[in-house]
Order: sequence, then structure tokens, then C-alpha cells
Amino acid sequence: MDKRIKIVLAAFIVRAAIAPFFMHAGDLGTIYESSAIALNGGNLYNFVYQQTLQMQYATGLPVFFEGYAYHPLLIYFFVPFYWVYTLIAGPSPSIIGGHFPSLPVLVYPWSLIAILMLKLPIILADVAVVYILAGIDRKKAEIYAFCPYIIFISAVWGMFDAIVALFLLISYLTFNRKNSYVVSGLAYGLSLMKLYTIVLLPLYGARLWGKWKDLGKFILGFSVTLLPVAYYWMVSLLAFWNVLVGFQANRIMGGVNLYNFVWIIPDVNFDLWVSRIPNILLVVSVLAIVMLYGRRLPLLEAILAVMLVSFVFGKVLNEQFLVSIFPLMLLCEECDTRLWIAPFSFIFLRSPFYYFAIPILWGSPYFYDLYFQADTIWRYLQTVGYLMIPMYAVGIAFSLLLFWNLTQVLSISRPAAGTLSRSFSRVIRILRK
Amino acid sequence: MKILTIFFIVYVIALSFIPLVHQLFIAQSSWLGYGTGDYAYQAPTYFVLFNNPYDGSSKPNIHVNPSFAPNERISIVEFSDWTSYVDGFNLFNDFNVTIRASADGKILDATYSRPGLELHKMIEVTSGTVQVKIIANKEISAHVELWKWIMTSVNNYTIATAPKPMLIPTSTSINFTFNDQSLNATGTGMISLSRVPTQIEVWPFENGFNRVTVDFINSEMTFTVSGSITEPGQVSWSYADLPYVLPIIAIVTVTGYLLVERYGQKNKDRAGRVHS
Repeated sequence: MDKRIKIVLAAFIVRAAIAPFFMHAGDLGTIYESSAIALNGGNLYNFVYQQTLQMQYATGLPVFFEGYAYHPLLIYFFVPFYWVYTLIAGPSPSIIGGHFPSLPVLVYPWSLIAILMLKLPIILADVAVVYILAGIDRKKAEIYAFCPYIIFISAVWGMFDAIVALFLLISYLTFNRKNSYVVSGLAYGLSLMKLYTIVLLPLYGARLWGKWKDLGKFILGFSVTLLPVAYYWMVSLLAFWNVLVGFQANRIMGGVNLYNFVWIIPDVNFDLWVSRIPNILLVVSVLAIVMLYGRRLPLLEAILAVMLVSFVFGKVLNEQFLVSIFPLMLLCEECDTRLWIAPFSFIFLRSPFYYFAIPILWGSPYFYDLYFQADTIWRYLQTVGYLMIPMYAVGIAFSLLLFWNLTQVLSISRPAAGTLSRSFSRVIRILRK
Repeated sequence: MKILTIFFIVYVIALSFIPLVHQLFIAQSSWLGYGTGDYAYQAPTYFVLFNNPYDGSSKPNIHVNPSFAPNERISIVEFSDWTSYVDGFNLFNDFNVTIRASADGKILDATYSRPGLELHKMIEVTSGTVQVKIIANKEISAHVELWKWIMTSVNNYTIATAPKPMLIPTSTSINFTFNDQSLNATGTGMISLSRVPTQIEVWPFENGFNRVTVDFINSEMTFTVSGSITEPGQVSWSYADLPYVLPIIAIVTVTGYLLVERYGQKNKDRAGRVHS
């Protein structure tokens, strides 16, 4: 058998074997719930918006229900698999509840099938990335295929950043090929199913500035992905705006970054106020990178520079975000991909490992009981603040590692205008204009 | 690149002081909301927590900050909605609850409503006490449970004199002594009632009592809670110490990064030279 196919098969088997027995109940529960709503023709954004309004009314605080806050296209990657699942298991729910802080009720054995089916598009995206990478460099494909961090995010957690990674990789690979700008634009649009890749839009614009025909093709491909956005914009503007824009804009900073100190400040209004600092820096730094390096760096390095700077200064950086640029980092000679260790270790500081093993532990009363015994200890460690110390240290360390990678990527080119301070002044002047 | 690195390092360290600045200058003596709708109030000697509408515990939970360890929070008494009733309706399960802080941040008003009945639980922290005022739109028959793990005596009753759940003589004050298990400290608490209740009952648990229940029929009742630590226990690490620790973590991590960046690079170069 061809070695490339062997790696792909191995990557698939490893993931599929693990997938049914683990999940992040909150995140996979959201996808399960959203798939059911979408299949029944319901409006996802109305559901989330109503929950948010209810929470805000009850508490009097600007808090948000953390539900489906993604690009509308995303759910259509899951719905066909959910539909197949309903053909097997019937329409009765098998994963009930599970939104933080409550725990889900699982119906066996159907919940295990549901978990596997909902992870299949993620696993297939992972496998596709492995296939593409294997065509370029087999060793790099092996790293992606068997990296514990990547396997954990896709097959254990059930997070879909691998889909973002796949489309970002396709967008990059097709960008410089003749007559592929439509595909590149389309793939980039699809990568937006997690909104953090939006920072690349000015970069693509800068790269295509002056090549009007190619820019037109790119926009054509990109605009196809906006059709569902236009639909929801028309049918439920308020809910769509609140859930997608309001939630993302008013999110409190934190994650595997230098901003997670905010988690110990019990003051939501202050937290929101202080979360504006990264917003300002994010905009300035992304524009600076695009203007100073956007056209001078090779595309791969330019994409990575923008993504890395957005991870360094952006206010939210969840454990799984790195997956999206991991294939590109593997292709980049200047990057050190060992930095995955930081978000990987952070996962176990933020959520106990047994939380991911709920599908196994819920299967027996003995393990069910053990879960709560372990949870008492975990909650004690959390309440006393012992976990916050390593979480903060890892957050800063990861930001510094990202920053180091950013400097390595930028070091292969000198900015257009001499010194950095002069460059910043130039950015400020342009912003003022 | 050097300027960018210096900027980033200064940025990281400067931000690490934000929790401390908030704790020292902003968080004092005002109801602040956070999380999924919890509220907290930090006064010089009391810390009061009022949980979100989706949790029936700590409604409120009144803590004292002992003078020997100002960052410690020792619970004096916890009002529970899980186990409290008004006209036979459970406060957690049978009411819609909304929570609002007053404009000046001094009073927290939790409104419990159901058809034909509305009551407010208003919490105000004064200089030496915490007031929990229950006001209803009509006369109510209320059963309020106050929890503390564990009270060694309540109005001079101990486990020896009340080994089973027992009604004790009603009065407008409930005085108790307690052992705090987390700090191994002992202290006293006092709950003054604005009116004489219809009954007060103590509930034994292990070597003391873990709750006192107060029943009353009225449209209004105020619980004025105070407490202090009489014998200091072991001072240990506290969550409120975190703001002091984070800047240290930031400085240590950044220093580690700078050292690795400088000397790690040199070693790499040296290794490169050897191989070449």
C-alpha cells in the first residue's frame, strides 16, 4: 500500500477508535443541540439569543449564553452526520443538557454513536490535512497525524478547529496557483466558521491589491460562503447580530494567554472594560503586520505572522485555536511546532481529564460515583486558587512562545520603513487618515 | 525586534498587576457581579457572596475576614434557597428570581416572584454587620434555613443537650459558636431578628449543629448577622492572595523566557558550529 495512504488510514483509525468514548460535554452538546435544531428547520441564533436575554434579565449583568456562536455554514458540516445518526437511533435525544455548569444526561448506547457521528467531520478534516501534508512532506504529515495535542482536540474533545485548519491550508496552497483564486477565496470563507481567521482578510486584500482580476475571483469564491450569513441577516438580524457580533465583541478576555488573570477578578463590568485593551492592540498589530510585512513576506509566513500576532494580542485564545495554523506552522521552516505542549497541558489545568471521559464514566454507577469524588478534590483545588497559578504561568509562557515564533517569521524579511518606531508612526498616520 | 520584545515584556508584567489594583482600589464595598450571575461584596471585615439564579446555595453566604489573616474568608452563616420555603413553595424551585444591585452598589435586591406573591431579599453590608431583609407583598409563612459547618453551640445548646433536632425557645437573637474546619479556627456569630419568630430549631450533625431553621409568619423579617474569630487557626494560602502572586509569576516566566532566548540561542549557535 502507498505510504501516504497508510499514514492517512492510521490517522483515521487512531481517532475513530478513541472518538466515541470521550467528549467535552459543553462543546459537543452545543453541536448536538444545534444539529437537531438545524435539521428541524429551527433558527439557531434565536435559541441562543433567547437564552442570553433570559440570563441577562435574571442577573442584571451583561452575561452571555455560550451556545452556537459560529458562522452559519458550520452546522451544515455536522447536520448530514446527525441525520445519519437519527436514521440509526431515531429522533429521541441521547445527549441531554450539558451546558456549563450542568452535566449531561446520556442515553446508552445511542449517545456513543451520536458522539462518534458528530466527530466524523472533524476526523475527516484531520485526515484530509494529513493527506495533503503527506503529499508535500511525509514527516510533517506524520507529526500532524500522531501529535497528541491534535488527536486530543479532534477525537477526545470534539472541537472542530481541524476543519478551520483544512480550509486555511487549502486557501494557502491554492492562492498562488493560476485560476485558483476562486477556490482560495472559497476555502478562506469556509475557514471563517471560527471567526478568529477574520484577521487574514486584510492580508488577502493587501496581497491582491492591484491584481483586480484575481481579487475579483477571490471575492467571488469568498462571497459564496457569505450566502447563509445574508440569509440569517435577513430573517433574524437582531439575534444573529447579538449572538455573533455582540457575543464576540463583548467577550471577556482569557484563555491560554497572558490575559487569563482576569478570571480572578470577580467584576464583570470591569472585566469587560479591561478587555478592550487587547482589542485595540489586536487591530493595531494586525494592521501593522499587514502593511509592513504583508507583501514582503512569502504568503505562508505572512499568514502565520498575522495569525500569530492575533493570538499574541487577541483577547481570547482557547486551547484548540493553535490547531488551525498547525499545518501551516509545520510547513514553515522558521517555526517551532513544539509549542503545542503549552495549550495541551493547559487543557488539563482548566478541565479535569475525567470530564472528557464522561461517556465512559456515566456508563456505570461505580464510575459515576468516582467522578463526583474526584470532582470534590478538583473543585477544592480550583476554589482555593491552586490551579490558577500554573494556568497563568502556562498562559504567559504560551504567549511568549507565540511571540518568539512571530519574531522568527518576521526575521526573514525587514519591514518596509526602517525602524520599528517609525513604522508604528506610519500605521498611526494611516489610521488617522 | 528588540524594541518589540521590550514592549511585550513590559506589557505582560504591567497587566499582571491589574488584579491587585482592582482588589485594592475598586473591589471594596460595592456589590459586583461576575461569572454566570453571581454577586460578591468585599467590606473591610466581611465578604458576602450571593450565588447566581441557577444555584440555590449561598443566598447569601456571609464570611468574615479575620484580623490575623485579612485575605481569609471564613463562612459565618449561609442562607440556603434549596431548603427554604415561603407559603410551602421552595425558594429555589418554585420562584422566578431576578437579581439587581442598587445604583450606588450598596444594596443587593433579589426578587422572588410567582403568581400572587412577590418577595424581596435585600442584602446590605454595614460597618459591623450584614443585614438580610425579607420583605413580601403580603403576610407569608416562611421557613428559612441557615447553615454553618459546624456550630458547636446555639443559644447555649450543645450536642449534649440537644442530640436530636430540637425546637429551642424563640427569641430575637441567635448566638452561636463555631469551629471552622478549613482554618481550624473558632469563632462566634450572632443573628439578630427584627421580630420574634414562631419557632427556632437546631439540627445536630457530628459534634455540633450544621443548621438552624427559623420559621415566621409576617410580611417582613430582617436577619442582622455579625461574627468574629475568637481563636486564630492556622493561616494558610487563600484565593484572595492570588493578586499578589500573579505579578511574581509574570516576572519569573518572562525572566525564564529571556534567559532561554539569550543563552539557548548561544548554545544552539555553538552546537551548529561544532556540527559544521
